[in-house]
Amino acid sequence: MTISSTKTLTRDRRRAGIALPAPPGVILSLLVIAVIIGWSLAPGLFTGFDPAIGIPADKLQGPSAAHWFGTDHLGRDLLARVIHGTASSVSSAVIAVVIALVLGGLIGLLAGFLGGWVETVLARLVDVLLAIPNFLLAVIIVTALGFSTTNAAIATGISAVAVFARVMRSEVIKTRSATFVEASFLSGGSRWHILTRHVLPNASRSVLPLAVLRFGQSILVIAGLAFLGYGDPPPASDWGLLISIGKNYLKWPWLVYAPALVTVVTVLSLNRISRWLRKTD
Amino acid sequence: MQGAYLNYAAKRLLQAVVVVLLTYVFTFVVVSILPGDPVTNVLRDPQNGFTEAEIAQIVAAQGLDKPIPVQLWNSLSGFLTGDLGVSLRSSRPVSDMIAEVLPSTLRLAGAAIAVALVLAMAIAYGARFLPHRYGGAALRALPSLFLSVPSFVIGLLLIHIFGFQLGLFMVIDPDSFWATFFAAVALGIPISAQIAEVLMANLDHEASQDYADVARARGLRQSRLFFRHLLKPSSLPVVTVIALMVGEVLGNTLITETVFGRTGVGSLIQRSVVTQDLPVLQAIVSLAALVFVVINLIADLIYPLLDPRVKLVGAAPRRVTTADELSGKVSA
Repeated sequence: MTISSTKTLTRDRRRAGIALPAPPGVILSLLVIAVIIGWSLAPGLFTGFDPAIGIPADKLQGPSAAHWFGTDHLGRDLLARVIHGTASSVSSAVIAVVIALVLGGLIGLLAGFLGGWVETVLARLVDVLLAIPNFLLAVIIVTALGFSTTNAAIATGISAVAVFARVMRSEVIKTRSATFVEASFLSGGSRWHILTRHVLPNASRSVLPLAVLRFGQSILVIAGLAFLGYGDPPPASDWGLLISIGKNYLKWPWLVYAPALVTVVTVLSLNRISRWLRKTD
Repeated sequence: MQGAYLNYAAKRLLQAVVVVLLTYVFTFVVVSILPGDPVTNVLRDPQNGFTEAEIAQIVAAQGLDKPIPVQLWNSLSGFLTGDLGVSLRSSRPVSDMIAEVLPSTLRLAGAAIAVALVLAMAIAYGARFLPHRYGGAALRALPSLFLSVPSFVIGLLLIHIFGFQLGLFMVIDPDSFWATFFAAVALGIPISAQIAEVLMANLDHEASQDYADVARARGLRQSRLFFRHLLKPSSLPVVTVIALMVGEVLGNTLITETVFGRTGVGSLIQRSVVTQDLPVLQAIVSLAALVFVVINLIADLIYPLLDPRVKLVGAAPRRVTTADELSGKVSA
């Protein structure tokens, strides 16, 4: 890499400093995520219905002004169940992304920064993680850990480690060979200084959009595990579990489509934000 | 070139063998840290109705009383000689159990990849040539939507519309033509999105080349330009993507087969997970990894032959690697 790559790096950094006005699609996506965060922090503010207690006389009603998403087979308000299930769905996706980010980031960093035999060993580990189909890997790990939503989240995180490790490694190698890093090293910067001052900030610019993207993917994978029954059992109301219960009542399709719609809109918004982050940085 | 290629191929082959062996060890370690003792969990299950003497016999036959490293060694050497062990539940050879359900899953997976390819081509063609306001823009956003829907929801949607409303197939007859077709569609849609994204990005690149302008200036029709000139150079990276997708298809059969009530490798995994039938899980995961590694090895070995511009650097000749890096590339 030569002067040209340094130029792009500095220009990118300058551009990132300026706050770009977000396009309308991104603003809408940010609003969606704000609502989802609201639902998971204070579900009581968004619905007056109890997610666990229903009125049997009102069972299996279609969507209406009183019950936006209709009611389920026990007469419980479905919107209330979705809102109260948000915290579990969101927090498990956060656990998954943090695990993938920390473990994957560390592996990628060590491999890219140290090189040599460390890199070879870590590269084979990543190859192993990539060779097992992603969803299958999550399934055997959650089987090993025991069925629960937290364990499903851990399994989802581990199954995404390889992706983060790859991106982190290539970013570290890219930055390490830039001229300004060489200059910093020559002017007496320690390895630690270069790592925290140059390598990590530059790498974070592609790892952050990836983390947002993976957040959405994790919601989908955890929903899939919940659908197969590997998450918490029913009184819980994760989105995946709600859809899974709804599939037994396909005659009342809103029981599937309402929680599915919330899931899809959330993941779409996260994908849109991720794409925007990648473009502005 | 010849020597460089052989050197590269040998290195890549060795690497593949190492990865398969390591994957087996990794799976073994993950599966054997299961909570509780599989012997007590499975064999002493009253439903199995084994007597103590029978349990002792099975434990001795499977070598479950030996230390873990010895078990790993026995298991690995069995795997290398084609012996996949015996199910803890039914005491049948695992290879028989897999062979029984494999054809159904291969049919489903093959149909899903075919559906994905056709769908991806249609999306890419439409996105390239339809005017923006007549759906070109919407088609461009379609892959992103496909990737945001949980795959079991796509399955439920298809069952609801085509099974229940239109009555095209019965859920209780999962092997009928239409049931298989829609299961393949459900499995193929997320795959088609990833293929379409790569195909669209490459078509955009090819369409901006001089030769495409020349062809247009000669008055070539759109469809002819697409199929004769643009499609071939754009489909090279697609080969890589499909090779990478094979793993995903295998993993997702678990969900699709459950949704559509089919018997197959996916439902066998589901049953083995619930009953903690470790030898079966170990065998399926290792075989899935083996299939993935072999297909990617073939793709890696063919790629430099198809595209002479590819440089043989180390053991990674491909310009495209993971789906995430790809989507980064597409929007960048």
